[in-house]
Amino acid sequence: MIKIENVSKAFNGEQILSDINVTYEKGKTNLIIGASGSGKSVLTKCTVGLIKPDSGKVFFDDREFTSLNTQERQEVRTEIGMLFQGNALFDSLTIEQNVMFPLQMHSSMNAEEMKERVDFCLKRVQLEGVNHKYPAEISGGMQKRVALARAIAMKPKYLFCDEPNSGLDPQTSIVIDQLISEITKENDMTTIIVTHDMNSVMEIGEKVIFIHKGKKWWEGDSETILTTDNQELSDFVFASSVMKRLARSSK
Amino acid sequence: MGQFSILMARTFKKPEKMKIFYRQLMFEIDSLGIGSLGIIAIISFFMGAVITIQTASNIDSALIPAYTVGFTVRQSMILEFAPTIIALILAGKVGSNIASEIGTMRVSEQIDALEIMGINSASYLILPKITAAMLINPFLVIISMFIGMAGGYLVSWGTGMIPTSEYIYGLEYDFKVFSVYYAVIKTIFFAFIITAVPSYYGYFTKGGSLAVGAASTKAVVASSIIILIINYILTQLLLV
Repeated sequence: MIKIENVSKAFNGEQILSDINVTYEKGKTNLIIGASGSGKSVLTKCTVGLIKPDSGKVFFDDREFTSLNTQERQEVRTEIGMLFQGNALFDSLTIEQNVMFPLQMHSSMNAEEMKERVDFCLKRVQLEGVNHKYPAEISGGMQKRVALARAIAMKPKYLFCDEPNSGLDPQTSIVIDQLISEITKENDMTTIIVTHDMNSVMEIGEKVIFIHKGKKWWEGDSETILTTDNQELSDFVFASSVMKRLARSSK
Repeated sequence: MGQFSILMARTFKKPEKMKIFYRQLMFEIDSLGIGSLGIIAIISFFMGAVITIQTASNIDSALIPAYTVGFTVRQSMILEFAPTIIALILAGKVGSNIASEIGTMRVSEQIDALEIMGINSASYLILPKITAAMLINPFLVIISMFIGMAGGYLVSWGTGMIPTSEYIYGLEYDFKVFSVYYAVIKTIFFAFIITAVPSYYGYFTKGGSLAVGAASTKAVVASSIIILIINYILTQLLLV
């Protein structure tokens, strides 16, 4: 479980996050949705400590992350896996080396055990036979899956995914969503997904938080979101004609 | 300056895994050092050749012995050309490479990925580069001295401007080992500047590809100016 208490953040006098209170539940896919520039990525970066919040606290289970020193933070971070929007794979390393990287840095496994774990993770994200290729030699969808394999290599307790479907075709997006959802259940992880893809919300949104103008505007799940009377959320959700049709049919 | 100091404090922390650090160090020695050998050889050869021609053609007086040419080439190469000019060349070649590599890692979130994995990204990325340059650059500079003097010898032999025996005598005349120590001390300082300054500009890059290009340019300009200032200070301290 991850708990965020009264987190605020401003850049150059502009308030990006205002007094956010959220609890991300264990074993569930927690989705943060909102329009571009609403502050959802900043909220995620504040949660994992890549950006220091101006005020507020972040708890990883019973550990207050915001008050830990650098060394203690690094220890907590070994329990975090993160899938970045642009994948953030290391260009100079092969696929196998990318997935093996966190194991080499933090685990006490020998070479054979690491290789086994890498093969397992790549197989789990339905990628085989690409071990010796470089990130530039595979497609965007495959890169995303490699990034997911790397994120789960250390068996993290917390998984963060920043717009995992950006730049992917609808079919690949569904595959990635399903993988994240399945892996969350298999490992009983606390998963946080930042997205503005309504398909993802409807497919895997067990808990949904809507961020608007830097504030938590709404909290619910993928079922209640369709019947919301919150105007701003309604404008966001039903911006596409597909969602409007879906809402009409559900009524 | 404060931000640079904080970055260096993080950089000079004990590496998380010595095996990984050693691997990175070997890679950087190969990339920054061995990879620069070609350009250093070419520049040094022609520097030595040109100093020989210029000195020989400017000695009109019969009172100045011919071996002065060899002496001048040796002193110029050891005291200034090999350590300082090579450092400025490397500031351009290696500095832009480091700033753009780390800058690209910053804008493509690879540095964030390292941090999220619980890795001290500054130490992981920058420490092997600084260590490698400080270890390998003195050897590069000594090689440069020899190649420069060899360049002068070939010109002496090829053009007949001065007898090669006189040139060799000039190279050996009044040789002080401290000159080489002085050059090596300067080189170690320059090696730090060549790697640490571009790493700083790359690490704090904000934006996209344009920002990476701008960081690379700033890194080369800043490290070149710092090299010249430090060169003056060290010369004052060590030779005067």
